[in-house]
Amino acid sequence: MVVSDLIFLMLQSGLGSLASYLAAHVLLCLVPAFFIAGAMTALIPKEAIIRFLGRDASPWVSYPMAALGGFVLAVCSCTILPLFAGIFRQGAGLGPAITFLFVGPAINILAVSYTGVAIGLDIALARILLSAVFGIGIGLIMAYVYRHDTRGNQQAMTEGPFSAKATVRKASVVLLLLLLAGLIVGTLSVPVLRDPYLQITVPLGEAGTWQAALDRLVPYDASLGQEGVSLQGVLLIGLLVVIGVSAWFGLNAIDEGFNRWSWTALAMIALTLLTSALKTTIVPEGIAIGFTGRFFGELVVVCATGLVAAKWMESEEVTEWLWESWRFVKQIFPLLVVGVFLAGMVRVIIPASWIETLAGRNTLLANFVGVVFGVVMYFPTLVEVPIANMFLGMGMHRGPLLAYLMADPELSIQSILITAKVIGQKKTWMYVGLVSIFSTLAGLLYGAWVDGASLWRMAGFMTSIVAIFVGLIVILWRFERRKKESALEPSR
Amino acid sequence: MDVKILGSGCPNCKRVEKTAREALAEMSVEAVVTKVTDMEEILSYNIPATPGLMINGELVSYGRIPTRAETVSWIATALDKAG
Repeated sequence: MVVSDLIFLMLQSGLGSLASYLAAHVLLCLVPAFFIAGAMTALIPKEAIIRFLGRDASPWVSYPMAALGGFVLAVCSCTILPLFAGIFRQGAGLGPAITFLFVGPAINILAVSYTGVAIGLDIALARILLSAVFGIGIGLIMAYVYRHDTRGNQQAMTEGPFSAKATVRKASVVLLLLLLAGLIVGTLSVPVLRDPYLQITVPLGEAGTWQAALDRLVPYDASLGQEGVSLQGVLLIGLLVVIGVSAWFGLNAIDEGFNRWSWTALAMIALTLLTSALKTTIVPEGIAIGFTGRFFGELVVVCATGLVAAKWMESEEVTEWLWESWRFVKQIFPLLVVGVFLAGMVRVIIPASWIETLAGRNTLLANFVGVVFGVVMYFPTLVEVPIANMFLGMGMHRGPLLAYLMADPELSIQSILITAKVIGQKKTWMYVGLVSIFSTLAGLLYGAWVDGASLWRMAGFMTSIVAIFVGLIVILWRFERRKKESALEPSR
Repeated sequence: MDVKILGSGCPNCKRVEKTAREALAEMSVEAVVTKVTDMEEILSYNIPATPGLMINGELVSYGRIPTRAETVSWIATALDKAG
């Protein structure tokens, strides 16, 4: 193939990829997800969770709370490492700290919802469930192995984030639930949401020709994972650009107050959500716009959210929330766009046969390859999802895919180095090993389920694993109690 | 007065620095303001969460962006303690 042809094909593939990944159904997921991430960061005080992770916390409480903390507190990777160090040195110790370290990047709300929308709800749920269970397990195993090592807990307790009292305000909880509802309404694929209840036809005779032109520019090619672009898609991309500009001027410094750009940005965001929820079809007379259940659902959510924010939240909370949400967008979205585009380009070059041979079936080797790839290649947050989708399209089995998705956010050179500074090199290598083993295992389990293994067998398997973990908690709990008792007793 | 901002470069840390500088200006206090971005050094201060603000060696805020009013009051307290 002539080089110029190849380059053209690559560019087209990149564009096509981008179009699919910015399609309506993805926006319905990402927009609420960014707001949820911002709300969690702005409205949930760290103390509310980490007060359960103090030194005297019972393991029955600290491990699940560490997992919950990983989900809720660790949206920004710059938060995870200091919190991890704090929990290790001044709090509940190695076990819960490791659980937190693992669960944080694994159950990132943005990545998980994006996975659900782009690859499948089943894999997203598997990722959540297996990450939580295995995160607790890895923490427990390390706590057990190093139970005689008390070097970590020697630091003096500063007045405590671990003893502070802090709760989440009711209004914040309501807001979070509303945003979550928005996410679900936007992405759940059920007839009651999908079907239009009202249809208006806009007479635009040339619509058909425009769409045909678009299809030539960005072809629909299922084998390359491209869904083509519809006229609705073009409108949405335009809206995104408007949001970008107005948010830049309106949300960058929103802690100093709302300006006209802020309101414009918010209005545009609401408009984008609602537009994405419409169902458009090209008909001979023009465009038929269907007002789906999703549209009305989102309308309700948007209005309710605005109401809650206006009436029950302090203005600092609202500005903080918006600032954090926009901060995440700035941090993640540009890289996502670039990553998706590059993945689309690269896809043309890599022969699918490589992927199929290495990871086409749910074998131990295939899953391990998934993990190794995740560890070795570093992709910014969210980019691992389109990359994974690319592999899926090229023949990777869903099991190894999950293994890759779980391993990738966990281990980067930088995080390994810093972890080693906190807990030491030997423990860090053990952590890396455990993450690899459990990611492989997670992939194998999920892959087996996908291949049709009986649900009962899977449940049985998971129950035995959980039973082992519970056993570990019991052993550790009694061990800690005996340690405390002997510390209290005067010398015999 | 010695003011340190602990943070590895994410936008929150920049805001803390901005707030701190504004508060110092408001109080007309001379201070050496340093931004600590090296993770290892940040961790050595035992801070539970970045961004962090330290005045004269004491950790006054962590994990959030303090308001200018708060920062002003901490500077006042630090001046009291020192003088």
